[in-house]
Amino acid sequence: MKVVKFVSTVDPSKCNGDKLCERVCPTGAIRVVDKEARVNEERCVACSKCWDRCPSNAIEMVPRSDPVVLTTDPDTVDQDKILELCFKAKVLPGQLVCMCTGTLAKEVAAAILQGAKSFEDLSMKTGARSGCGIYCIGVIQRMFEAAGLKVTSPEDHRMYDMTLNMFDVPLEVQEKYPEYYLKQDTEILS
Amino acid sequence: MLQQAIRPPEVMRSVYGPEPRKQRAADLPGMAALKVRDLFSDIVQEIYLHGGDLSVIRKATEEALSGVYMEKIRPDQTVDILGSEHGFSILGGNAYVEMLRAIQDAVRDRTGADVRLKVAAYIGHKETAEVIEHFRLKDSFDKIRSFGPWDKGVPIETEIGTLYGVARAYEADWFIHAYYDDPREMYFHRYVHRPLKAFVMSYARYETRAAYHFSFGTRSGQFLMRAIFDSPFVQEKHAFSCIMRSSPAGIVGVDADNDLYRIDHRIKKHHLRDFGKMHQLLAGLDECIAVWDGGRWGYYVHAGGVCFGVFMNSEYDPFDLSKPFCFSAFDLLVQNPFGETDTIFEPHHSIKAAVVNQAWPGIIITDLPKRVPTVVVGRDQAEMYLKDPTNPSFMDHAVTAETLEGAMNFARRVSGTDKVLVFDGSFGHLTLTPSLADDLVSKAPEVNRRVEEELLPMWLKQRGIDPEEA
Repeated sequence: MKVVKFVSTVDPSKCNGDKLCERVCPTGAIRVVDKEARVNEERCVACSKCWDRCPSNAIEMVPRSDPVVLTTDPDTVDQDKILELCFKAKVLPGQLVCMCTGTLAKEVAAAILQGAKSFEDLSMKTGARSGCGIYCIGVIQRMFEAAGLKVTSPEDHRMYDMTLNMFDVPLEVQEKYPEYYLKQDTEILS
Repeated sequence: MLQQAIRPPEVMRSVYGPEPRKQRAADLPGMAALKVRDLFSDIVQEIYLHGGDLSVIRKATEEALSGVYMEKIRPDQTVDILGSEHGFSILGGNAYVEMLRAIQDAVRDRTGADVRLKVAAYIGHKETAEVIEHFRLKDSFDKIRSFGPWDKGVPIETEIGTLYGVARAYEADWFIHAYYDDPREMYFHRYVHRPLKAFVMSYARYETRAAYHFSFGTRSGQFLMRAIFDSPFVQEKHAFSCIMRSSPAGIVGVDADNDLYRIDHRIKKHHLRDFGKMHQLLAGLDECIAVWDGGRWGYYVHAGGVCFGVFMNSEYDPFDLSKPFCFSAFDLLVQNPFGETDTIFEPHHSIKAAVVNQAWPGIIITDLPKRVPTVVVGRDQAEMYLKDPTNPSFMDHAVTAETLEGAMNFARRVSGTDKVLVFDGSFGHLTLTPSLADDLVSKAPEVNRRVEEELLPMWLKQRGIDPEEA
């Protein structure tokens, strides 16, 4: 869940239309039209990546007049289905998925079950990926995969498959390297 | 034993942090310095502290490289020196930069190859440009390029499947792993293969970073860095490694080898002992006010060579590999699998208040103000934390003071203690109040005994090192 208190704004006099901002936006909120970046404020989750990426310093994060709450209430979704999705993805329902926003696995599961079909959808429904955008991505990919959804990033964004996790490590590898406690860590979190 | 407070390393100006503060915590009345070797006399002695003679770093690098086999590098080949982000903030960054320069000169002289510098960012697109300008790297390196976890990836086939590195880190015929060994984020790497961490961080795509941190346990995750480093792809490009060595006392030397595991083995013995003692000492504190007063992210600012993040998380012993997890987010779930956790790192119980004189936002740290009275100095800095997307609720819990003195008065009142520990980037000494110094001095002998007789032998055995040999 995230309370979005800021929004991205573009100074047209500084914008050169290079589209670098488009490539880093997790929700597709910023688009270049007629060589000028424009922000769809409804979709801006204040991740500040456009501000960071812009080499022309054309972007500023300014306070919203009315903060926006991005959340999906897990209690509004069938709890058994949430548990089923979580366990299939090998995550615990109360596990933090997005550390920056405190979004738990059960909220991500609820959002997927309520129709989130892309990373952008998920960010709009939960706020996940609106912080560092780094540490949550593997678990989110696994949860989409567990839901039977093949999701890819937009064409001009880069994202690589990283559903690899410790449960994928073959037994023979676990036994070959006892010093890494692969077997034990897997058993603890199974 | 106590000395006048020592001026800490300068803070680099950055868009990611507040304007560097003219007033440092060390300037406050009553602050003092306590040398780490007055606490533990056998901590490896430094050859360099900030402001010192950089020629000792060059000399140490040249000596270390004299034992490295470089003959496989041909004059018609390209060699990239990979510089990682945190090296540019250790003791102000100048030692690390000097090591990079010395590596370039040695490799160029001995091989005639085309040597370039690649500078890694942690997360921000502007980080590397700032570093390049601040350290005037273009004066020393003809060819410099930056890279970060968002750049084009290269698939690396490992024993357990495909992981993704950053293509630019591996694009030359050879790369030199130019790194540092100060223990940071030990709650993640557990001091299993410290010098290999860059292969799952600096040189890795963010998906690989995510897998390392949260798709494996904190013990099992160390296998990822080994899997990547041992892969044929990496092995055929790895020329050698050159590691800036540290102890809590400061920079102690440079180690270089064609075999990174040999460096790993050499580092472990001393680090487990030296940093183990400092960590255990601080973990035994009952009360203190923690002050952030250094460059870059608050987690990584040092006090006596110990990162704040390590101290904050020291309810756990990260060196003890018999413990599956050593931070709250996983540990709480293991105890109650159907519960919830809103805590990543429970702050150490001794931190009764926190003062942020200066530190970059940008890394998840909201557990600190949620649980500990935290005061941010300066409205400019508070504004940065308010906007920080990785800590969107930080300022919901923290308060702002106009001045450092005001912040310290507030912290003393709410905490009821005048024991202050400052994380200002220092190695070699702790910046602190005399009352805290007395506390540490009284505790040090028992910590020394416990580490030497009980903990160190256990830590070494857990890593396959014979305590007798060590």
